Amino acid sequence: MAELEKSKNEASSERLLEINNLSKSFDGRKVLEDISLTVEKGEVISIIGPSGSGKTTLLRCATFLETMDDGELSYCGKKVVTSRNGKAVYPSKAEMKEAKSKFSLVFQNFNLFPHFNVLKNVSDAAVSVMKRNKEEVLEESRQILKKVGLEEKLKAYPCELSGGQQQRVAIARALVMNPEILYFDEPTSALDPEITAGILRIMKELAEEKMTMVIVTHEIDFARAVSDRVIFMDGGYIIEQGAPKDVIDNPSNERTKTFLRKLSSL
Amino acid sequence: MSNYSKTGLKRFIGTMLILSLLMGMMISLMPLEASAEVKTFTVGFDAEFPPYGYRAENGEYVGFDLDLAQEVCKRNGWTLNKKPINWDSKDMELESGAIDCIWNGFTIDGREDKYTWSTPYIDNSQVVIVKKESAINKLNDLKGKNVVVQADSSALAAFKGEDATDENKALAGSFASLQQVQDYNTAFLNLESGMADAVCMDIGVANYQIQSRGDAFRMLDEKVSSEKYGIGFKLGNKELRNKVQETLLAMKADGTFDTIAEKWGLETSVCLDPDDKYIDKDETPVLPGQSGNGIDWGAMLAQLGEGMGRSILIFVLTLLFSMPLGLLVAFVRMSRFKPLQWIARIYISIMRGTPLMLQLLVVCFGPYYLFHITLTENYRFIALIIGFSVNYAAYFAEIYRAGIQAVPVGQREAASILGYSGGQTFRKIIFPQMVKNVLPPVTNEIITLVKDTSLAYVLTYLELFSMAKQLSAAATSLVPLFVAGLFYYIFNFIVAFVMELIEKKFNYYK
Ligand SMILES: Nc1ncnc2c1ncn2[C@@H]1O[C@H](COP(=O)(O)OP(=O)(O)OP(=O)(O)O)[C@@H](O)[C@H]1O
Ligand SMILES: [Mg+2]
Repeated sequence: MAELEKSKNEASSERLLEINNLSKSFDGRKVLEDISLTVEKGEVISIIGPSGSGKTTLLRCATFLETMDDGELSYCGKKVVTSRNGKAVYPSKAEMKEAKSKFSLVFQNFNLFPHFNVLKNVSDAAVSVMKRNKEEVLEESRQILKKVGLEEKLKAYPCELSGGQQQRVAIARALVMNPEILYFDEPTSALDPEITAGILRIMKELAEEKMTMVIVTHEIDFARAVSDRVIFMDGGYIIEQGAPKDVIDNPSNERTKTFLRKLSSL
Repeated sequence: MSNYSKTGLKRFIGTMLILSLLMGMMISLMPLEASAEVKTFTVGFDAEFPPYGYRAENGEYVGFDLDLAQEVCKRNGWTLNKKPINWDSKDMELESGAIDCIWNGFTIDGREDKYTWSTPYIDNSQVVIVKKESAINKLNDLKGKNVVVQADSSALAAFKGEDATDENKALAGSFASLQQVQDYNTAFLNLESGMADAVCMDIGVANYQIQSRGDAFRMLDEKVSSEKYGIGFKLGNKELRNKVQETLLAMKADGTFDTIAEKWGLETSVCLDPDDKYIDKDETPVLPGQSGNGIDWGAMLAQLGEGMGRSILIFVLTLLFSMPLGLLVAFVRMSRFKPLQWIARIYISIMRGTPLMLQLLVVCFGPYYLFHITLTENYRFIALIIGFSVNYAAYFAEIYRAGIQAVPVGQREAASILGYSGGQTFRKIIFPQMVKNVLPPVTNEIITLVKDTSLAYVLTYLELFSMAKQLSAAATSLVPLFVAGLFYYIFNFIVAFVMELIEKKFNYYK
């Protein structure tokens, strides 16, 4: 009993993200409904679900690009968004900045800064936001860029890179910030299939290094291979979640089955 | 005699007339603050006062005084600007510097202290005109009659002014009525139709009117008063007065003055005398030496160069102020606070919806006509820069706004994820991309500004275009205008070249 209590506490100290009862509507239409989600340190979570089910919106709420209507949110055990009288309340700018330092997000369409070269894209935020030593950051940036295979392109501008190369820069840019959680929103769906593999390999390597990741993806095989947990969303709800072998290979819910059947028939 | 000024009324009328006045000023050149160096000489006159100054059938302003002024300008290398004015607001026109002098059969008597005067050049007397068959033969016969005078005229002053003689006051008291009309046409219409029995006016005008209207009228031998005409300058502007006076005396000496007087049938009234002294000082005007006025290419180019320098000054200062101001306006326009947003919207809409020329006039003369703030000559240039900057800021604001909105939202979102503050996001991410986006429309705007600097002429700032116009008028040749056109073209060519270089510099991405 005591032991169980202890391990629970330990687990909660390792809890990087906790979302409770999140709801969000656009123009009076509910897009997310009563979403609760936790992410433990080192976990790799894949979110799957049909188009329009609210996956992107969930990531955007978790990364503060969208404000949630109601619900609570904590990063690393620290309450960020609280719920008061059925409305989400956001903290001060300083606390938001602190919370933002816990995560990073890789966009589907990269969103690199077109007027910065590769090295500057990757290093600038660490210097001007985290106020880190510039030389140190540049050195670290070069190493990370080398890891994603772009050591030749330090001085190139995003417009001179292929989509796959741009996405690698975006991943490097996120990694330099040294986030606790790395979110991906369909990082490969803007890419050609042959380029996709390269990106997925980088992500697999990150997973092996115990990087905590939340990945919205349509790559079911990839999700099965890297995920500790798969979440299936539909119509703004989390329908079911669990180990890939349960959710993907042996779904209990009808809607999950339908979705997976449609995917494999493609 | 009184000057008949009712300051309050004049101010009221002045305020009421702001718009029409501004419109009037738009089509006429405004002089620099009067000084001996003026290149444009603006004569204010009542356009319904023949033979001194009036509108001829072909629409041109002509008259004895205007001919004299034309000759004075010719001899000094000035451009004459004939500025018909509302007689009621003549003082306002003069004080504000809209005109350099009142030269219009302008009676000195009773106004000695109100203006800086030339010496008298026409002796005028107030006489009475009646219909030929009228029974009126002497002044006393006017008892119980209806007499007409022009409003605020010498004739009216002779009867009712503070300095009117007791006899004249008594005489006026004996009239059945003393009506004031706006112009002599109306006066004669009254007389002819029998609504009035007599018209009292200046002798020169009377002679002209009788002559041109046939022999239906006659003049009484007895005169109401005797008085003299001079040219009225703004109080204290002796420099310009002396210059004009000296030129007139030179014209008198070589016979030009009398020739002009004869042309207008005024030879009997001329009283210009080199021995006369100014009222304000016991100083006899000096006769100037003869000066030739040949046109000199070197001088012309030098002057156009000077004008060009002024145009460039307007251009540089306008850009310097309007570009950052535009950014501020763009921010206000994009503010989430609705009232602020509306203020910016209204501002932009007014700036883009009304002529820049009108805005310049309002900025320059508004403070005087609306709030009676006395303006200094320096303000003219300040007003110019304010007017241009405020106008261009509105255009830049809209260009910037479009440029900012053209930056994809993903850029802001990526910056937000990376933790950039709002200020950092704008400075490092949005602004540089906006600059690239707005370069083509900003280039257009800048090229338009080069040409728009010529609008400075409405405030008589002697930039390239005004300079060219004046040189062209003085030389009666289009050459200065063509040269100015070439200057503008070269200026724009350089601007376009520089902007292209800048655009190329931004070509390293996208
Ligand atoms: N800014 C917005 N305004 C209005 N409606 C929105 C907005 N963003 C998303 N939605 C709506 O919310 C719902 C969920 O959208 P979301 O992008 O989260 O779905 P998704 O699961 O990511 O779909 P996909 O797999 O196609 O990316 C959709 O119906 C979408 O139309
Ligand atoms: Mg999505």
